[in-house]
Amino acid sequence: MIPLGAFIAVSAVLFFIGVAGVLVRRNAVVILMCVELMLNATNLALVAFSRKAGMIDERGSVFVVFVFVVAAAEVAVGLAIVLSLYRNRPTVDVDEVHAMKG
Amino acid sequence: MSFDILQSVLFALLTVGIVGAAAGVVLMKRITGSALLMAFAFLCNAGMFLLLGAETVAAFQVLIYVGAITVLILYGVMFTPQQDRRYGLFFQTQTPWAALLVAPIGIFVAFFAFSFADPGKALPGGGDLVPLATSVFGDFAFPFEVASVLLLAAMIGAIVLVKRDEE
Amino acid sequence: MTPATEVATSATFIQLVWLIPAFPLAAFLINGLFGKRWLGHATGWIAAAAVAASAVLSIGVFLDVLRGNVHTTVTLYRWIGVGDFEVNIAALVDPLSSVMLLVVTVVSTLIFVYSIGYMAHDHGFPRFFTWLSLFVFAMLILVMADNYLLMFVGWEGVGLCSYLLIGFWFERPEPYVAAKKAFVMNRIGDWGYTIGMVTTFLVFGSMTFTEVFEHVDIATQANLLLICLAFFVGATGKSAQLPLYSWLPDAMEGPTPVSALIHAATMVTAGVYLVARSTPLFAAAAPALEVVAVVGALTAIFAATIALVQFDIKRVMAYSTVSQLGYMFLALGVGAPIAAVFHLATHAFFKALLFLGSGSVIHGMQGEQDMRKMGGLRRKMPVTYWTMLLAGGALAAIPPLAGFWSKDEIVGAAWTSGHTALWVVGIITAILTAFYVTRAMWMTFHGEPRDHHLYDHAHESPAVMTLPLVALAVGTVTLGAVVGFPPDAGFIHTFLTPSVEVHGAGGEHHAPEIATILALAAVSVGAGIVGILIGLSMYVRHRPDPSAVSRAAGPFYRVLVNKYYVDDLYDRRIVDLLRGAFGVMWAFDVHVIDGIANGLGRLAALGGGGARRLQTGVVGNYAFMVVAGLFLLIVAYGGYAAGVFTR
Repeated sequence: MIPLGAFIAVSAVLFFIGVAGVLVRRNAVVILMCVELMLNATNLALVAFSRKAGMIDERGSVFVVFVFVVAAAEVAVGLAIVLSLYRNRPTVDVDEVHAMKG
Repeated sequence: MSFDILQSVLFALLTVGIVGAAAGVVLMKRITGSALLMAFAFLCNAGMFLLLGAETVAAFQVLIYVGAITVLILYGVMFTPQQDRRYGLFFQTQTPWAALLVAPIGIFVAFFAFSFADPGKALPGGGDLVPLATSVFGDFAFPFEVASVLLLAAMIGAIVLVKRDEE
Repeated sequence: MTPATEVATSATFIQLVWLIPAFPLAAFLINGLFGKRWLGHATGWIAAAAVAASAVLSIGVFLDVLRGNVHTTVTLYRWIGVGDFEVNIAALVDPLSSVMLLVVTVVSTLIFVYSIGYMAHDHGFPRFFTWLSLFVFAMLILVMADNYLLMFVGWEGVGLCSYLLIGFWFERPEPYVAAKKAFVMNRIGDWGYTIGMVTTFLVFGSMTFTEVFEHVDIATQANLLLICLAFFVGATGKSAQLPLYSWLPDAMEGPTPVSALIHAATMVTAGVYLVARSTPLFAAAAPALEVVAVVGALTAIFAATIALVQFDIKRVMAYSTVSQLGYMFLALGVGAPIAAVFHLATHAFFKALLFLGSGSVIHGMQGEQDMRKMGGLRRKMPVTYWTMLLAGGALAAIPPLAGFWSKDEIVGAAWTSGHTALWVVGIITAILTAFYVTRAMWMTFHGEPRDHHLYDHAHESPAVMTLPLVALAVGTVTLGAVVGFPPDAGFIHTFLTPSVEVHGAGGEHHAPEIATILALAAVSVGAGIVGILIGLSMYVRHRPDPSAVSRAAGPFYRVLVNKYYVDDLYDRRIVDLLRGAFGVMWAFDVHVIDGIANGLGRLAALGGGGARRLQTGVVGNYAFMVVAGLFLLIVAYGGYAAGVFTR
C-alpha cells in the first residue's frame, strides 16, 4: 500500500520542476509546456486525495475533469498568442518581449 | 504481498519517469525533445492515476494530454522555428535567483507532503467511472456546462488571435 | 419642514411662477448659442419678448397674491437633503417677492426695448442681450428664492452679469478696470453674505426663510448680531453703501441701459431686498438695525455731496443712486421696511427713467457725457426733456410724483422712530438732491448750447427708445400716489405687511397723528423746493455764480471733486498695505508651502522611479515575483505552523 504522502510528494516535485521551468526558460512554447506540467502535478494531487479519502462520489476527480478543460483552453489560447506574437516579430523569446517596460 | 511490492516498484518507476522527464523538459536544449519528454511525463502521470485506481481519469489523461495537448504543443513548436539563434542564452538572466527561490520551497513542500496521513480506509473497488459520472452529471452538471462555454470561448479566441487580417 | 402651504384654487399663476425665470433663461440660451451667427439683431426682440412674457406672468402672480395667497412655496425639486437639513430649489411667493418680481420684470421689459434702439449700432449686440437675459434670470432667482442658499446663487449670478456688462466694451481699458473693481468690491460683500449664510445654518440648522424666521427666538443676541451684520456687509457690497460704494460710479463705464437696469433699478437693490427679506432677523437685533440706519444715512448725504460737483451726467446719476440706496437703508434701519421697498419700487422707475433719459441725451450727442458741453437740448429732445423733468421732480420729491411719497415716508419714519439726527441728515440730503437734480437738468437742457457743433447734430432718439421713456414716466407720475396714498397706510402697506411683520411680535402700529404727518411732509417738500430754488438761482440768475461758489469753497470743492479721495485712499493705503502683506504671504507660499508640496512630489517621483524598475515588461520577471509571493506565503504558513508567529 503506497501512502498518500508519497503521491503528494511526487506531485509537489513535479509542480516545482514546472515552476522552475517557467522561471528559467526563455522559449515561450517551453514555458507553456512547463505550465502543463504544473497542471498535471495538480491533477495528481487531486486524484490522490480523492481516491485515498475513500468517498463514494469522486469529487476530487471531477475537478481533474475541469482542469483538463482549462488546460486545453489555456494551451489553445496560449499557443495562439505565441503564434500571433511570432508573426509580428519572429521570436518566441519572452525576454525580448518587453513593450510594457515601465 | 507481492501485489504491494509490485505496486511499490511501479510507483518508483513512475516517479523516476515523471521527475526525470519533467527535468528533461526544463533542461533539454531541443524544443522538440522537450515536447516529447513532456508527453512521456504525461504518460507516466496516467500510470500514477492507474496506480490510484482511477482508470477513467487515466484514460482522459492519455486522450487529452498525451494526445491532444502534446499534438498542439508540437504544432506550436513547428510553427515557430528559431532560425536566428543569436542568443546562445538558454536560460534567463534570473535563473540563479529562480533556483535559489524554487529549491527551498520545493524541498520544503515535498517533505511536508509526507506528513499527510492516510485516512486508513480501503480503496473503493470497481474503478471510478460510476462515481465520476454521477458527480459530473449530478451536482456538477452546471459547472460542466459552463466549462463547455469556456472551451467555446477559448476556441473562438484562438481563431481570432491567429487569423490573418485579410486586406 | 416648511409649514403647510395651502394654495387657493385661484393661484394658477403662482403655480407657474417658475416660468418667470424660465423665459429669460431660454432667451439667454437661444441668444448665447445662436445669437452671433444666425440671429443678429433678432436677439434683442427675442430677449425683450421673453422678459415681457415674464412681466405678464408676474402681473398674474401679483394678482394671485392680491387675492390672498400671501405665503406660497413652490418647490421645483429637492436640491440638497442631508438628514434634517434640506435646501430646495423653491420659490417663496409672498407680497414682497411678488412686488419685486413685478418691478424687475416690468422695468426690465422697458429697458430691453430701449436697448434695442440704444445698442443698434454696436457690434456686440447679440452678446449684450445674452448677458442682459442672463442677468434678468439671475435677478429673478435672487428675488424668488425661498432660502439663503438659492438666493446666493442669484446673488452671485447678478454679480457676474454686472461684471460682464460693466466690462462690455472691454476693448477700452476703463470698462474692464471698472468691471474688475466692481467684482472685487462685490467679493468683499459676498464674503459677508457667506458668513451670514453659514452662521444662519449653524445657528438655526436651516437656510429656508420660513423656518429661520419662525425660530428667531432660539438664537442668542450675539448670534443674531453676527448674522445681521454679516448680511449687511453683503448688502453694502451689492447695494454700494459705505464703505463699499465706490464701484458703482465707476460702473457707469458700461452701456447706459446696463446702468439703468443693473446699477439703478434692480441689482443694486438686492441688498435692500436682502435686509427687507430678513426683517424678522434684523428686528430681533436692534444694534444691527442702528448700524444699518446710520450707514444708510451717512451714505445718503455723502454721495449726495459728491453728486453736487460732478460734470459727467451719468456719474451724477450714479452718486444719486448711491444716495437713494442710502435712503432705503435708512428706512430699513429705522424699522420701516415697507417704506424701503416702496422707495425701491418708485426709485426703480424714476432712476431708470433718468438713466435712460441720460442715455438718450448721450445717444443724441454722439457719446458725449460731459454736461459742460450740453445745454439747450430741450428744444432738440422734447420727449427726453419732459420725461426726465418728471423723473427729476420725482427724485427731488416734488408731490405728487412717485419719489415724494416714498421718500416722505422714509424721512417721516426716521422722525417718528426717534432718530432725530438721522431725520436732519435726511432733510439736508433732500435739499442737496433737489439741488443737483436742478443743476443737472439745467446744464443739460436749458441755457445756451455750449458746444454748437454737437448741438447742431443733436437729435431726438427713435421711438423704440422714447416709448419706454414715456412708459416709465407714466409709472413715475402715478405709482407713488396710487399705491402710497394715504401715507403710512396706503395700499402698499396693507399689501406688504404679511411679508415683513415680525413673527410673534404682534402689530405695534403707532400711527402718527395727522398733523405730524402733514408737518413732516411739509418740511420734506420744503427741503426739495429750497434745493430747487438754490439751484435755479445759481444756474439761471448766477446769484451766486457757480464758479464763484466753487472758488470760495476752495478746499471743500476740491475734496468733493475728488470724491473725498476715497479711491486714492483705497488704492494707496489699503491696496498697498495688502500688497505688502501678500508679498510676505507669497514668499511664505513659494518657499514653505510650495517647498513642502514639491518635496512630497519629488519623494513620490523618486519612489515611482524606483518602483518603475520593477516593471521590466519581461514576463519571466513577473512570474518570478509571483513565485516570490508564494515563497513568502509558505514561509508565513510554515512559521505559523511552527508557532513562530502567534496570534
